[in-house]
Amino acid sequence: MNLSTLTRASSLSTTITSTTLRRSITISSSSLSYTPTSTNPKTPLFLRPPIFTATLTDLQKFQNWAKTLTSSIGSSFKDSDNGPDSTILHRELNWFIEDAVENPNSLLTQSETEIGRVVKLRAELGDLYTLWKQRIEKRRPFQYVVGCEHWRDLVLSVEEGVLIPRPETELIVDLVCDVMKMNEEMKSGLWVDLGTGSGAIGIAIARVLGEFGRVIATDLSPVAVHVAQFNVKRYNLQDKVSVMQGSWFDPLSGFEGRVAGLVSNPPYIPSGHINGLQAEVGRHEPILALDGGEDGMSDLLHLCNGAEFMLKSGGFFAFETNGEDQCRFLVDHMKSVHNNSFCDLKIIPDLAGIQRFVTGIRS
Amino acid sequence: MTSNILRTAYRRRSSSILSPYQSISTFFQSSSHPQSIDKQQNHVSGFEFISKNAYGFSSVSNKRSTLSCGCCFNNTQMWFSTQTAVEPSTSDGLTVDDIVANQWTILDESESDWKSHASAVAQSIRLIKKRLKWKKLKVRLEMLSIQIEKPDLWHNPVHAGKISREHGSLMGKMKEVNGLERELIDHIDMIKLAHEEDDPDLELESVKALLRMRQSVKEKEHEALLAGEHDSCSCYIEVQAGAGGTESMDWAGMVMQMYKMWAQRHGYGVTVVDEMRGEIAGIKRATLRVDGEYAYGYAKAEVGAHRLVRISPFDSAKRRHTSFAAVAVTPILGDGSHHVQINESDLRIERYRSGGAGGQHANVTDSAVRITHIPTGITAACQNERSQHQNKASAMAVLQSRLDQREMARQAQMNAQYTQSLTDNSFGNQIRSYVLHPYRMVKDLRTNFEVSDPDSVLEGEIDDFILSFLTDSMDKENEEV
Ligand SMILES: C[S@@+](CC[C@H](N)C(=O)[O-])C[C@H]1O[C@@H](n2cnc3c(N)ncnc32)[C@H](O)[C@@H]1O
Repeated sequence: MNLSTLTRASSLSTTITSTTLRRSITISSSSLSYTPTSTNPKTPLFLRPPIFTATLTDLQKFQNWAKTLTSSIGSSFKDSDNGPDSTILHRELNWFIEDAVENPNSLLTQSETEIGRVVKLRAELGDLYTLWKQRIEKRRPFQYVVGCEHWRDLVLSVEEGVLIPRPETELIVDLVCDVMKMNEEMKSGLWVDLGTGSGAIGIAIARVLGEFGRVIATDLSPVAVHVAQFNVKRYNLQDKVSVMQGSWFDPLSGFEGRVAGLVSNPPYIPSGHINGLQAEVGRHEPILALDGGEDGMSDLLHLCNGAEFMLKSGGFFAFETNGEDQCRFLVDHMKSVHNNSFCDLKIIPDLAGIQRFVTGIRS
Repeated sequence: MTSNILRTAYRRRSSSILSPYQSISTFFQSSSHPQSIDKQQNHVSGFEFISKNAYGFSSVSNKRSTLSCGCCFNNTQMWFSTQTAVEPSTSDGLTVDDIVANQWTILDESESDWKSHASAVAQSIRLIKKRLKWKKLKVRLEMLSIQIEKPDLWHNPVHAGKISREHGSLMGKMKEVNGLERELIDHIDMIKLAHEEDDPDLELESVKALLRMRQSVKEKEHEALLAGEHDSCSCYIEVQAGAGGTESMDWAGMVMQMYKMWAQRHGYGVTVVDEMRGEIAGIKRATLRVDGEYAYGYAKAEVGAHRLVRISPFDSAKRRHTSFAAVAVTPILGDGSHHVQINESDLRIERYRSGGAGGQHANVTDSAVRITHIPTGITAACQNERSQHQNKASAMAVLQSRLDQREMARQAQMNAQYTQSLTDNSFGNQIRSYVLHPYRMVKDLRTNFEVSDPDSVLEGEIDDFILSFLTDSMDKENEEV
């Protein structure tokens, strides 16, 4: 991939909403082609063809079994590591069934006479039992169980080996939108998402870019690269987003000083905290996506340094951090070490009120 | 013209929708007041007179055109006329008014008697006209048409927009009713023709089509009750438990369930946007989004306090308890018709904080968002969506609806038509009583309408309550005019 392919103008419409996308893809899932490799991403449950059947009675039996199992959790996960309580798990169970059944609305309107009715499923009934057991007994994250995460207005494919995008990170896209609102030119620039994971931030940015705007999304993990590519294709953004494998700025040689916007949610958890993490995170998500070194700052600092030479003048950056301490440290670092390179440095809180993001402009 | 050609032509335009309200048809008969008979209408059966102060129709003024059309055999002429100039009549000169006047006995729908069907449809059309205040509507429409013709109308675009919207809406109603009249006449013509041509198949099919019209026109009757500006909108239904702990929360949950089932029965989309569960049972409060035509028009009849009397299953001493649940309903206005422009900087948007560091530390599927409109203190929350972004959008829509409602109430200066948002006050306005013990009854305190089967009501069969209330309020309105 080189600059010329990246900057090739393409006028492909990218304004499909996730609902229409979801619907149209559900119908023609076979037309989703991606090169089969050993790291072939798994198709999310809701996109699999409904080739299995079960009677409504059997499905309800499953539902009752799962409800009982779920209720038995009470607040024990919450008490042990701030995991989900049974109210949240019950909601997940509803979504699980929503994703697994071809026509979930039909379950609502069932009447007594329809008990023997057959419903179409996207996985075998036996697998539903196995999957829900994994959710509860193994604390396998719900998003891995169903193979997707709803994030902003996107439904992203995720699987073991790639980080499940967090709600906090949605705000990075809002920050980017604000910048674009103030400066229309940014819509036609080159944007970079470093450590893209599932491709979340890069894809969301690509959908608000103008005709000439492009995104490069990078990740060191081959699984992440494949999953990101899969998601890029799902949203038909191949002409706008290129996913590259490599460590941080390595895949970007040649773009120094040409980047309009640089965003990243790099690993920022201090190594010492990894052991005490919530089971869903610590036992199942990739350590490469979480561990930010002794103070959690090693990648963030590396990114700050890189931003100085990658961004063009007037270019924008936004980084997610672990909270107030890291935010302050970064801002101080940028002011002292990179004095005069950045201006308009800001610390921005997430919706839970935690100081989460550092943003700024390359002078 | 051969029957075959007629038949195909007929099939093409006789598809009709089945009414979800069929079972309610009998209700109207029981609430009639035959003692009040308007002079101009003394040929009409008592069934028509729901309103004590029945509105006079100008059946007389139309007689002239009836006559001139009575001898004209050409049906197509009527198909192309869009205005009221010609009152439709069958090939042998029968008009809708004539059919009403004939007082053909109305039999049960299951009886395949075309005269009975025709008579029922004609009655419905008369009722619809009355509910639409037909004479006034015509005068108003004429006035608007004159205004719309004025060359300087668009000098004031806001005014012009209002005028042309109202004109369009009244015109639509006018055309719809005229269309119904024409459809009835055409069905009768077709039945008579099939009979003359000795084509029993076609005759049977034509009678069936008339029956379908009889069923679908019932729904139109109800829609005619819903002529309010926002009645056709989707809406939010909000339920809040009154004082009294678990017993009240359980009751609030039952009320919410009643509305869910009611909405599903109607084929409306149903989503729980926000729900705060009780610790032991039921809900503290919840917001339900109901999507579909006329959801607001119907649901607004439910605003107020709902009272339950029963032996509480939560009371080990098995005592009788009285609990309350308050219901508020707000319309979801279409884009561009909002009454309030929300200023982003007036908002505080928060996520429920579960404690902990968040971000990469936590795996969450719970991304509930609460939005506070700082100047008014009005809040809205949503947790049913799967992403924070969607929860925020959904909560914004609730907030918009609540702010619109508040503004409408202000503008209407607490006009009774508009409900208030949920406050302590909502519990003061008691509208309905559900008694499970010592006897079983549900009674509406506004209309005195009552049924003795609370279970079916709690399973969502509340249409009779809604329609009796709407009919009552319309009658009251008419009295005041
Ligand atoms: C916290 S995750 C963020 C993923 C995604 N941007 C998101 O917000 O959902 C950090 C990502 O950085 C990637 N990563 C870790 N070390 C990296 C490196 N040296 N170079 C590039 N990417 C790296 C991980 O594979 C992981 O996908």
